[in-house]
Amino acid sequence: MSPIVQGILTIIIGVGGCIGYFYASNILLDRVIFPPKTDDQGRNIRRATMVRPWLFLLPAILALGLYLVYPVVGSFLRSLYNRSGEEFVGLGNYVQMFSEHGFRVALFNNFLWVVFVPAGATFFGLLVAQLTDRLKWGNIAKSLIFMPMAISFVGASLIWKFVYAADPDIGIINAIRDYFGAAPVDPMQIPFWNNFFIMFIMVWMQTGFAMVILSAALRGIPEETIEAAIIDGANPFQIFFRIKVPQIAGTIVVVWTTITFLTLKVFDIVYTMTGGNFDTEILPSYMMDYMFRDDGRATAVAFVIMVIVTPVMIWNIRQARREL
Amino acid sequence: MKRTFLNGVAVMALTAGTAQAQMMFTPGEGGFHWDGYEAFAENYDLSGETVEITGPWTGFEKEKVDVVFSYFEEATGATVNYSGSDSFEQDIVISARAGTAPNLAVFPQPGLAADMASQGFLTPMPEGMGDWVAENFAAGDSWVDLATYEGPDGEEDLYGMFFRVDLKSLVWYSPIAFDEMGYEIPETMEELKELTQQIVDDGGTPWCIGLGSGAATGWPATDWVEEMMLRTQEPSVYDQWVDNEIPFDDPAVVGAIEEFGWFALNDDFVQGGTQAVATTDFRDSPNGLFAVPPECYMHRQASFIPAFFPDEVELGADADFFYFPAIEENDLGSPVLGAGTLFSITNPSEATSAMLEFLKLPIAHELWMAQDGFLTAHAGVNLDVYATDAQRAMGEIIANATTFRYDASDLMPAEIGAGAFWSGMVDYVTGESAEDVAAGIQARWDSIK
Repeated sequence: MSPIVQGILTIIIGVGGCIGYFYASNILLDRVIFPPKTDDQGRNIRRATMVRPWLFLLPAILALGLYLVYPVVGSFLRSLYNRSGEEFVGLGNYVQMFSEHGFRVALFNNFLWVVFVPAGATFFGLLVAQLTDRLKWGNIAKSLIFMPMAISFVGASLIWKFVYAADPDIGIINAIRDYFGAAPVDPMQIPFWNNFFIMFIMVWMQTGFAMVILSAALRGIPEETIEAAIIDGANPFQIFFRIKVPQIAGTIVVVWTTITFLTLKVFDIVYTMTGGNFDTEILPSYMMDYMFRDDGRATAVAFVIMVIVTPVMIWNIRQARREL
Repeated sequence: MKRTFLNGVAVMALTAGTAQAQMMFTPGEGGFHWDGYEAFAENYDLSGETVEITGPWTGFEKEKVDVVFSYFEEATGATVNYSGSDSFEQDIVISARAGTAPNLAVFPQPGLAADMASQGFLTPMPEGMGDWVAENFAAGDSWVDLATYEGPDGEEDLYGMFFRVDLKSLVWYSPIAFDEMGYEIPETMEELKELTQQIVDDGGTPWCIGLGSGAATGWPATDWVEEMMLRTQEPSVYDQWVDNEIPFDDPAVVGAIEEFGWFALNDDFVQGGTQAVATTDFRDSPNGLFAVPPECYMHRQASFIPAFFPDEVELGADADFFYFPAIEENDLGSPVLGAGTLFSITNPSEATSAMLEFLKLPIAHELWMAQDGFLTAHAGVNLDVYATDAQRAMGEIIANATTFRYDASDLMPAEIGAGAFWSGMVDYVTGESAEDVAAGIQARWDSIK
């Protein structure tokens, strides 16, 4: 069967199936289970209304259960077994993990990422959003800053690999050093700071996202509050920090937390830039080191990541619902 | 209905284009063993069947192996889909567990194959393959041993057939640069070290060393350490090291690592200084040999490396090699380090068995030998087919070896040989001490026992 026919057929079956399901469940509910014909019409209609949403949601709940709950429970159980999955070791994987130098390095680096990347991206995003707000060519500037969002993590990493190259003919940092007569250094091998060089790639990519959301929020601020502040004699900094920022605080939180859990999951950048060498490992790349070799350990790391991400995610969803 | 070989040729002529472009060598011509091929073609008709193969060969190497497979396609009418991957080690495990394994997998590491065999992802070789390899390969028994693993039930079985051997103990250099400076080929490690110092005194940089290899960064250094093990210790110590009968932080191993450090950790000895060693990609690393003036004079790397030389470099004229010499005072003979890739069955089928039969034929080896960049342990091949004198010379190095050992990191559990050992070597060249690195690797090894 040609892929096109296959695709069209899938759409027909999929969409048709959905419509069919809703139609059938309505009939089932209204004609068979709670028919409003009998003596207690009112009660039956009330009952049907109560059951209907759950019936409609049923396929989604089943799918979510299958694809979300089952893997979580499954992987937690898996993390309690040894590397080949045969022997139950309890929390042994976790104990061993926390005692290991590599894991602690990854945890600490991840902490740096979570602190600096969302902060950096949100800060720069807000800055750009404010500065370009009234500019004629502001939209062009914004498009340029937004563009890195379209590049894949690996692609962006490769671009920055050139920027950071140790060869003065290629790398900007070393070209500048070379100009002043300094010997080339490999930025990826400078202990501790190499983390920040890598983090900057993520900031560069996410600034555009922060900027778009925040500039929309800035535009949404009622003009009256700003006019009132101007009449009261507030300077631009006061207007920005005391009038504008508090009014978009909710949006800032959403942007911040969204980038936070993106940061907690990022793996490609470190993998491409250093492969986790030179003490730049973060949790997801650390997990990858164990994956397919020691499943118990790898799932244990995955679980730690999930435990860290979950509260941020809940907070993010709450804020987003309040905002939107 | 059996399709004869001649019919195949006719079809080939009619379907000119992609297929014909791949048929590099005209059947019946050259020193190839065409007779075996023709007999094979008459015995098999697998039209409509497909053999899926994944392996580590990409780029030029993929093009070459595709030529070999095209002759199988021509002979049997089956289709061969070969896909190469730079991260084969991960990909094959993923696809095996997902139940989407190809028919055949080409393992660059017996360690990984052994792992997968014990988990039941590999199917034992057809009956009689072991005897055939033992009889028809040079040093056949050692190749059988290297591919015999415990299956999921604990039973030992043959799980692979070696196709393509890599010779590691080679130092590549530019004869032009050597001539110009009047350098002689060193016969002993002592002379090699003297030459290294001599080049520095003359204002040059002796070595190009690059450990970069994406997620596999660090592996080229493991080869150095293995070479040094063979040159500083008895082969039996090497075997104990591979099996972890002596710990990784044994003074013997630490000594070998430091012996590598003598070359790599001296800013004057390596192109770009020690710092460049860890991040220079191993594929780019030999380029320094061919720069004018040379950025370095020597590069220790296995027989496959010419595939990554710049296009205009002509082997023999612009690039040549010599045996990475032994330490004279240790009197351990001339040890040779090597490796190889092995075909294993990940998903058996009739066409898959036919492919393995095809790989037994001398012609399957000769077709790649004639394209360069391929050494084989198959004793039945016509050595005249080798594309270059260089390849034949490598054959001589193998012949002259008093000790032949397989790449240790490939024999260790994947977690060590393709993990902790790699990253440990990166730590070593970036400043950690050999003792600490070795102790760290041993700790990781203890944790998987």
